[in-house]
Amino acid sequence: MKMVSQEMEDQLLRYLDGELNATESKVIERKIMMSSDVSTRLEELRLVRSFLMNRARVEAPSKNFTQKVMNDLDVLPARSTASFRNGLLILIGSILVSVIALVLLSAGVFDSTTTQFVVGSPLKNNWFAFPSLRIPFNGKMFVNGIVFLNLALAFVLLDRTVLKPLFQKRTFFEY
Amino acid sequence: MITTEDEYALIDKILAGDRQAYAVLVDKYKNYAFTIALKILERRPEAEEAAQDAFVKAFHHMRSFNRQAKFSTWLYRIVFNTAISYKRKKRPVFQSIENSIVEYSEHADQKMERDDKQLFVAKAMNCLNEADRLSIQLFYLQEFSLDEVAEILGQNLNTIKVRVHRARQRLADELTKILKQEALTL
Repeated sequence: MKMVSQEMEDQLLRYLDGELNATESKVIERKIMMSSDVSTRLEELRLVRSFLMNRARVEAPSKNFTQKVMNDLDVLPARSTASFRNGLLILIGSILVSVIALVLLSAGVFDSTTTQFVVGSPLKNNWFAFPSLRIPFNGKMFVNGIVFLNLALAFVLLDRTVLKPLFQKRTFFEY
Repeated sequence: MITTEDEYALIDKILAGDRQAYAVLVDKYKNYAFTIALKILERRPEAEEAAQDAFVKAFHHMRSFNRQAKFSTWLYRIVFNTAISYKRKKRPVFQSIENSIVEYSEHADQKMERDDKQLFVAKAMNCLNEADRLSIQLFYLQEFSLDEVAEILGQNLNTIKVRVHRARQRLADELTKILKQEALTL
């Protein structure tokens, strides 16, 4: 349980950072003198401050760091095979295919493409007759599935090749 | 000492095709860039790789630097983002105890006491979330103002102020807790 108020803690931190003016400092110093809880908390915060100051050292990389960077300048950053342009072209193609398929669907082109595939028994003998397997095929459902997959592919492409690189570039290099 | 004007002149040279001019900027900022990467990745080889990668990225995107902020802040933001993406890709590294080097030192006691204190701080630091930890570390590097810390981390100034403030309080609480526990076990 904290012994000093949040407001007092904020004041103590500002006091340690040297952000208080002379009058404010005098007031806080009086409070520190009068309350053991406040002075204990000040010591704790001072301890943290000194630890952090000691840890805050600037590290040096290896001696050939600059040389390595200069050598790597010619190596272009690895690019994914799905470049922005290629991705955009596939995306447009994918949307176009979906639109054409949807137009054809709404025109009823695939309405009469219902059939059944019959798979006969693989074994033929005189004693036992295996029932043949019948798989119904609905052309309309099939095209619907293709349209769905195409749209899913379009969304993935939009994310990977257009949106992601765009936002990454903005996060990395622009304010 | 390179002034901002000198820096802009160097950047103009680089943009005009003088690649060697970039070495001056790399030399100037490599220590802080490496330190930021090290604070995030905590391993020197990876930090060095990330810092180098960030310098290469900055070179290839030099035209994106709009000169509204300091070049260093722009660069350190690239270092920060690169190190963060390295951290996301990083897998925990197993180090065999057989390959560890054990050193003997005459000042082992003093070193142990110093290491103990560092260990307590490190323990307390682990209780902070990553954004708070990094904010506080950058703030205490002295090189960066709160404005710059906010720009490097891509956050609002007030958010960073609160983060630094609260992180120190939390650290004090955790440190006190740890030290009390240690005192009880003695």
